[in-house]
Order: sequence, then C-alpha cells, then structure tokens
Amino acid sequence: MSFTHLHLASGFSFKYGTTLPHLLVEQARELGMESLALTDRDGLSGAIRFTQSCIDNHIAPILGVDIECDNNTRMTLLATPGSGWSSLVRIVTELKKYGAPCNLKFLQDNSHYTKNLLALHGPDSDLGRALTSRRYDKALTIYNAARELFLDQAIECVSHLVYGDGPRSTVHAARMLGFARDHDLPAVLTNAARMRVRDDAPVADVLDATRHLLPLHKNIVERKNAEAFLKSSEEMEALAEKISSAAGERRWKKLLATTQEWADRARLSPRDDIGIGSIHLPEPHVVGARDHHELTTQLRNRAIAGINWRYGHSRSDVHERLEKELSIIEHLGYESYFLTVADITDRARASGIRVAARGSGAGSLVCHLLGISGVEPLSLGLLMERFCSPLRSALPDIDIDVESARRLEIYNQVFEVYQERCATVAMFDTYRARHAIRDVGAALSLPPMEIDLVAKSLPHIRARNISQSLSNLPELRNLNLTSSVWKMAIGIAEKLDGLPRNLAMHPCAVVISDGGLYDRAPVEMNASNFPMVQWDKDDVEAIGLLKLDILGVRMQSTLAYAVSEIKRTTDLVVNLDSIPLDDKKTFELIQSTKTLGLFQIESPGQRELVGKFAPETFTDLIIDISLFRPGPVKSDMITPFLNARQGWKSREIFHPDLYEILDDTEGVVVFHEQVIEIIATLGGVTLAEADEKRRALGYKEGQQEVCDWFFPAATARGYSLEIITKVWDVLRAFASFGFCKAHAAAFALPTYQSAWLKTHHPAAFLAGVLSHEPGMYPKRLILDEARQCGLDIAPLDINLSDRTYRVEGKNQIRIALTDISGISSAEVDAIIAHRPFIDLADFVHRSGVSRPICEALLMVGAFDSLYSSELNRRDLLLHLNDLYKWSTTKSLSRIGGSQLTFGFTPPLSKTGLPDLKAHERVKNEIEYLGMDISHHMIEFYSEFLNHIGAIKSNDLLHQRSQSSVLVAGVKVALQTPPVRSGKRVMFLTLDDGHGCSDATFFEDMQHTCAETLYNSRLLLVRGEIRRTGPRGVSIRATGAWELSAAYEKWRNVAVCE
Amino acid sequence: MFENIDTPRPEIFLAGGEPIEFTYNGQRFRIHSVLSSWHESGGWWNRASDGFFRPDDGSRILWRVEAAPIGVMKTFEIERLESPSGLWRIRPTSRPA
Repeated sequence: MSFTHLHLASGFSFKYGTTLPHLLVEQARELGMESLALTDRDGLSGAIRFTQSCIDNHIAPILGVDIECDNNTRMTLLATPGSGWSSLVRIVTELKKYGAPCNLKFLQDNSHYTKNLLALHGPDSDLGRALTSRRYDKALTIYNAARELFLDQAIECVSHLVYGDGPRSTVHAARMLGFARDHDLPAVLTNAARMRVRDDAPVADVLDATRHLLPLHKNIVERKNAEAFLKSSEEMEALAEKISSAAGERRWKKLLATTQEWADRARLSPRDDIGIGSIHLPEPHVVGARDHHELTTQLRNRAIAGINWRYGHSRSDVHERLEKELSIIEHLGYESYFLTVADITDRARASGIRVAARGSGAGSLVCHLLGISGVEPLSLGLLMERFCSPLRSALPDIDIDVESARRLEIYNQVFEVYQERCATVAMFDTYRARHAIRDVGAALSLPPMEIDLVAKSLPHIRARNISQSLSNLPELRNLNLTSSVWKMAIGIAEKLDGLPRNLAMHPCAVVISDGGLYDRAPVEMNASNFPMVQWDKDDVEAIGLLKLDILGVRMQSTLAYAVSEIKRTTDLVVNLDSIPLDDKKTFELIQSTKTLGLFQIESPGQRELVGKFAPETFTDLIIDISLFRPGPVKSDMITPFLNARQGWKSREIFHPDLYEILDDTEGVVVFHEQVIEIIATLGGVTLAEADEKRRALGYKEGQQEVCDWFFPAATARGYSLEIITKVWDVLRAFASFGFCKAHAAAFALPTYQSAWLKTHHPAAFLAGVLSHEPGMYPKRLILDEARQCGLDIAPLDINLSDRTYRVEGKNQIRIALTDISGISSAEVDAIIAHRPFIDLADFVHRSGVSRPICEALLMVGAFDSLYSSELNRRDLLLHLNDLYKWSTTKSLSRIGGSQLTFGFTPPLSKTGLPDLKAHERVKNEIEYLGMDISHHMIEFYSEFLNHIGAIKSNDLLHQRSQSSVLVAGVKVALQTPPVRSGKRVMFLTLDDGHGCSDATFFEDMQHTCAETLYNSRLLLVRGEIRRTGPRGVSIRATGAWELSAAYEKWRNVAVCE
Repeated sequence: MFENIDTPRPEIFLAGGEPIEFTYNGQRFRIHSVLSSWHESGGWWNRASDGFFRPDDGSRILWRVEAAPIGVMKTFEIERLESPSGLWRIRPTSRPA
C-alpha cells in the first residue's frame, strides 16, 4: 500500500521549506505514491505549480495550509473536494486580512469556510502542546471546542525519532495516538516534512539562520536530526509500527489505514476543484452588456465605429479582416476580454495619460480599432493569428505601456472600477547567485568583507552556476575560495537555487476576472496597499485569470512631457498619434546616428547598427529593432541582411511564392509572422495552423514532428525537394530567433515618435528626457547631447528653475531644482510657492529650506542672478553664514529651527575673496548636482591629453583600423552582459565631451583592469581600433588607468624634466 | 560523562540491524531491553575544517539499552555514527530513557 504525506512544506513556505514543489512531486512519483499533499506555511503560493506538476506526474493533489496560531502553535488545514478549495482560499485571504495568528475567535467568525475543511492537530498544535505536558483534559477541551468548526478533525502523529518525550519523538507520537484511541478520535500519521531528502538538511539550517537573521547555532536550528523529509511508504510503515507499538497497539496498520482514508477524502480534481485550465473573464454586465449576445454586438459596433476613426473611410480589406478577427474572438468567447482592455485604455486616455500597446496584441485589427494599439496592422503585414488563434485556448496577452509617472493613477482607476474582480499579481523573489552567497555567508559567519566582494563580483546568474562563474572572476583570486568553509558555502548556496525568498508585487501585472476571483485565488494586501494574488503570472494564467500588463514606460512620460512643453511654450498642440510616419527629416536624424535619448535605438550597439542600416521607412525601423536582439546578433542574421540591403550581395529568395513575404527584409527571415506565412504558403495550411507549427519548432521533438509533416505537405503542393530543403533549413535555424513583428512594430512607434520630437522640437524632447530619464545614459551625457543639438543649458536659478527641466525660449533648457542632491519634494514645493525671492536673506527667511540645501543651491550658482557680478559666490557664502548666525543669536521669533526675522539682515559686502575657479565650480556641480554643467570634467586634463596624444571620440572614425590609440573620458556605462560561454566581456562607454567611445575588455585584460574600471570615474584607456562599419568604430582595450593617477605620474615626470 | 571506546570495528552483534550483544571492557554483555532509540544529526557548520565539500551532517543513531554480563545488568548507550567511518560508541549510562 502506498503512503500519502498529508503535511509537507515546499520552498513556498518562505525560508522554511527546502525544495520546490515540482521536485517534491517528482520524488513522490519515484516513490510510487498516488497522492500527495502540499501544506505550505501561511500561504498557497506554491499550490498552482504543485497541482500542475501533479497532473504531469499522475498524482492526485491534496492542498492545505499550515497556519500559525496563538502562542506559537500551528495547525494544518486541508481542503476537501467541492467547496473546500474556495474555502481554503478564503481562509488564507481572511487570515492575511486578520493580521494576527489564528485563534478560536477567528475560526468561529469564519466557520462558514472552515466547515468545509479538515483539520490536523499535530505535535506543535495547541492540542499537541497540551499532550506534551500530559494535560489530557485540556487536549480534549481543545478538540471539543473545535468540533463544530471543521468538517472533521484528526490527531496528527509525527515522529522524527528525536531524543526524549517531547514533540516529534516517538514517545510523544505514541502519546497522541493513545489519546486518540482513548477518546475514539481519528489519528493520522504524517512526517511534517520540509525536505525532499536527508541531504537537504544543511539547506534547512541555513534557511533557519536566515529567517532569524542570525549565524548558525544549535539554538536557532529547528531540527535535531534529518528525518523531516519525504520518506518512502516503507519508511513510513516502519514509523507507524514503531509508534503503534510504543502506544501499546496491536494493529499498527490502523494508523496507516486512517491516514489513507483521510488522503482519499481530501483528493482534489485539478480541473473541477482547483480550476486549472478554466477561463474566467469579467461578466457581460461589467462592461455594460446584459448578456453574452449583447457583448458580441457591442464589440462589433465599437470596432466598426473605430474604422471611421482610424481610417477616415470604409475599406473593404479592413472590413474583411475585421470579420475574420471577430469570428475568432466570438468562437473563443473573448469579447469581454477585449472590451475590458479597451475600457481601461479609454479611461486612461480620458485622463490624458498616454497609452500604447506592446506585444503581439498590436497585430490585431480589433485592438487597433478599439484604441488599444496605435499600430496599423494591415499595411505592416501583422497577423492576428500570432496573437490569438482558435487553436489555442490560452488567453492571449495584451500588454499596455503607459506613462511611468502616472501608472498608479491607472491602477487606482482599475481598482475603483473592477473592485473585487481585480488584483495585482505577485512575483517570487527567488534565490539567485548574489543573495544565496550573502545568506549562506552570513549563516556561516564568513568575513562580511569577503562575502560582499564575492557577491558584488558575481554576475546576475542562477545560484546553481556560482562555482562555474567564480572561476572566471580574476579579481577574486586573492580570496581563498578553495578553503573548505568557502567550498561548503558555495555548495550550499548552489542548493538554494531558485528557492523563493518572499512575495513581491509584480511591477506591472493586474488580473481582472469575474466576481468569483476571491473564491479562486488567495489575496493579500501588498506593500503598496493593493490587493495581490499570492501567485505569479504563470500561475494566474493557468487558472484562467485574465492578466493585463500595465507597464510604466518612462519614454511615454517623456513624450507626454515634451508635448506639454511644446504646448506651454509655443501654444502648438502636437498629436503624436497622428504624425505622418514618413517624415524625411526624422529619418535623416536617425541615419545620422545622433540617436541619444531615443527609444530603443540609443545604445552603442544600436547606434552602430543604425549607422550601417540607415533606416528609411517605418518598416525599416521595425526591422532594425528586430535585428538588434541577442538571437539574430549571435547567429549573424544582420550581415546577410545588410549585404543585400546595401546592394553588396544579391539577395536570395528561394521561390517566387515567398517574394512578397521576404521582400521587406531582403530575403532574410526576421519575423515570426514571416515564418508563419512561409509555413502556410508552402504547407498549404491556415495561418492559425501555421502558427501552431511555428510554436512547435521551438522545441526539439516538435521540430521533428513539423519536419515529418512539412516535407510531404510541401511536396504535395508541387515544390521541389531542393527548395523545400532550403526553406526548411532556414525555418529550423531561425524560428527560435525570430521576433514578433507586431511587438517590434509596437516598439517602433514610440521610437519614431521620439525621433520625430527630437528632430522638430529638440528642446522640449530633451527636457523630457532629462526630467523622466527614460534611457540608459546619465543626465550629463544628455546635456552634452543637447549642446551638440545647438541648445543652451541654463544654470540652476532660484527664481526660474522648476521641479522639472523647462524649455525657455526656443533653444534653452533650464536645470531643474530636483537635481540638487538631497533636496526634498517639500522643499521644492516651498521654493516654487514662495517665489520670487529678492535676495538671499529673503530666501532664507521665507523658503524654509534647510541650510545644507541652501548652501548647495548657492554653490551651484542658483543665486548668481540676484546679485551683481562684483559679488562672488564666496562673498555670498559668508553672507549666508552671517544670516544663520544672526538668526541663532538675535532671532526674536524663531520658527522651525533657523527662520529669520525680517528687518534684521546682516550687511552684505564684497570681502575681496577670489571667485571660484572654473574647476572649483565643476567640483561643486558634481558634488551637489551629480553632473558637470559649466565645463566638461575632461577639459581640465586637456593639456595632459594633448601631450600624450589621446584621440577625441569624434576623431576615432578617422583612425586606421588596428592602430593603437589612447582615449579618455568620464565613465558613462560599464556593462557586463551575461555571455553564454560563461566568459565575461566588459563593455565600457566613455564620454569626453565630444561624444562617446566604446571599449571592450576581454578576459585577458580583466585581471589587471576590472578593479580600475569598477572603481574609477575618469578613465584613460589604451586599445586597438576596430572598424565595425562605415560609421561604427570600437576599441579593443589593452589597458586602463584612472585618469587622475596617470595625470599625476605625467606631471611628476614633467616636473623632474 | 561518556567513556568513549571508539574503535572502527567494535565487537557488536546485530540482529535485523539492531544490536543484541557487545563486548565492553573485555566483558561480554547481552542486551536485555532497548529503553529508547533515537536519531541525531546536525552541527555540520562546526566541522568545516574536515574539508568535506558536502557538509558532514554528523548523522547518527543511538540506542539506550539495558545489558548485563552474566547476570549483572547495566544500562548502556550504544551509538553508531552514520558517517563513512561508521564509528560506534558504547557507554554505560544512568540516565533514564
């Protein structure tokens, strides 16, 4: 007879369980078990993936929860079929709301839920504790008090074979069994397991230490031995025998039989009870329809109305496509899904918030007509089938991008309208390399400095790859990582791989369902005070909850800001969503590679690609974005495309039937949509079927299946074997790298919009970029870019600077107050509210700004405009000092620290101190604003750099390939992207005031340079020029030094000479 | 409090994996009853110097038994280390089970 474990904690008992649910299920299958329970502590986060794994392994799932009760006791509840699961879900939700450990009152208040649940009183329960102290009377009282509350209660016997007669000892288990027998109560056997196998014990100990935030010690480690694991049926039978005989029972099989009986009572059906594979969309009345039929009509009417709005006139091809899409939607019953998303985007737009769709949803005409997506799918050849197909029952994904600065407004709207039908989604913060090393290191009391160094050096990789990765990090060679304690630490850290640490709110996902959401999903309030389902996005999808990603995109805020600045300064109303997509000047800007600040195409790599590609149309932009992905870059799809594009080599299109599909991309397969169309054309199937084949190409067995089908199908349609073979090779090679064209098109739109703004309204656009920081570059570089666009940067001014960067006149951008480091939002408000200020005394008197901030403002020249040029900043600083001195010694009415009394102003006069030198000004700017504004930092080294012959970044293009050069600059970006080979490559971008230069550090250079690169701000780099294209140049570094150190060396030598 | 007689191969006679007879101080003992038996492990973090890559969890099983040489009964504890060495420990004890 196989045993069923009724009490089992997975890793979703955060920082307690040692194993992920699916591994427990697989272990149970290997042990030949037919059912298995998951009873995580105080939550159900692992329930869905556990159930899915049970389905895959043909094991009947049992779900429960191990809840914390009064006085540090615990009790296990199990769901029964029927309404048990929803009751369990509700109890978990209510308990989170209750905010305190479970007690009798809570259970009584929620008895309408608990009466569908089974309760287990284990050794750590109130009842178990009573028996520990041999209070049989008290134990019976506890049992009887809960008699009416649960469907049934059992005594849970657990023996971990520990010493003595306390909980988890055989003696204690026998006592509990005896108690049950004396009063004729059901008794079950569990192993209260938290590990998969004995060897997981050290992981359990580290988790105990981490939970307590203490180093490992026998007092904080829970276990006394390693018995709390998923034991086999035989091992559990032996335990049953031991406990029964200790309890003086003759028939030890009774304990096992009752356990199995209870397991059978709690077996759930994944589909009928838990709801795996079902779909729950908002009811018709939520979107204003009476029934399903009306829903269909409403969707159709709205879409048809959209034709006029989007196209201006009726078009037969549009109608045809619309009918096709509508029939798919109706067939799948997704009407309310589309209407709900449309409702949310409508509301956002009504509040003036920019919205754009992303992802495959942009391929749907319905999405376009309902205003969800701004991309016009027909002319771009986007397919509905890639997004939503009658052959797939999974809910299609629509993601919408909104202004990052106003994302919470939309959240609030959604929650206001959909209330108990919606919740945010969780995500599991899992152990990755850095956290694992930190936690294990702390538990093992390794030196904090060493832990920190190792953790910081590790790239963002999975914990299980730590040792592999550490061997590639030269900067750690001085640490003795092969010492036994470090080896042990690394070994355990790797075992923490993927264990969830806690629940966090998914940054953008919201589920919207029908009124039964709270019956199907456990919900708790998260840190941002939104209700949050305890499951992640895959889990909610599995139980058919409509998930909507509402992403806050800084670029959308930037665009909105630029439009509002244009309106404010020129009264011109720009409607970005209706600008022509073929503006010549915009494409000239893109081709010039002056793309800093633009969406998606500002990175060094993209600038290089754009330079070589020279996009001319919107479709080119889509191609550009699709090509710049790890897959295409790695498999070098770019070269054949560019060769054909520039006319260096003729393009290769295997068959005239494919001409139209591959024309735009010069015969190279770039998009998923092309793969779908090729399969449909050659194989003679519908687009929906072709998409299924495309998906199958993504994994190995699927590829074989498609291959077995494709060759005969295409042959039957008259294609020659040669062509079929050629096409197949391409499909097989590129299907996995291809990119969804609709998604790329959705990205290309803001890319184009940002380029258009930068072309026609550079000041407003860059002010937006500076205010919302959408991109990868620091502000100082954007300021440089603004200067190179012919704009003036106006300094901080106490009477003119605003909260954000403002456009002044035609070509000027004013630095924002918020850039002063340490300034609070309240201080910014106060400054703006009390303006104008007539002098420093006035400011100190009225603004209420703290003294350090006041000094910072002064030091960066925010008060310069109030005084004649005879008075310099040093004079003002002394004056400020006097002002505060007066305020503390002579104040008559001091309010809030250092307020001044009006009329008592110390005199301000020229002191004769010299004004700040240029380099001092820059030093202040860096100190208080974090960027250099009046001068570029590099300028102070220009003599040195000229002397050693360093090349300016804009002259690099004129250097011969493979010549050795020196470049200097401010570190703008240092990236170490994960490389599959495991070898680390470091990409450094330097800015020298003339533009950016990019240097690559390969492994051989890293042991000498890595530390310098990480720790310096100004760098001098030596390297070899590498031409990458007509406008592209990169440096393969052969050395790097801190600039000031190199300068000092040079100066000393110069002095000696 | 324990008198250790750690030897890799002590004279212990087993039946079904459970000790029934052993030699202690040159005298042969027969186990009359097992008062209790339990499992212990842990403390691996203090044994890092062993140089084991995998933590040595010090897993062991203990028996507390009543045994006597020729009519004289004594209470003993027999302990087997579940490490590769498979060490056994036997000690008389006066602690109750």
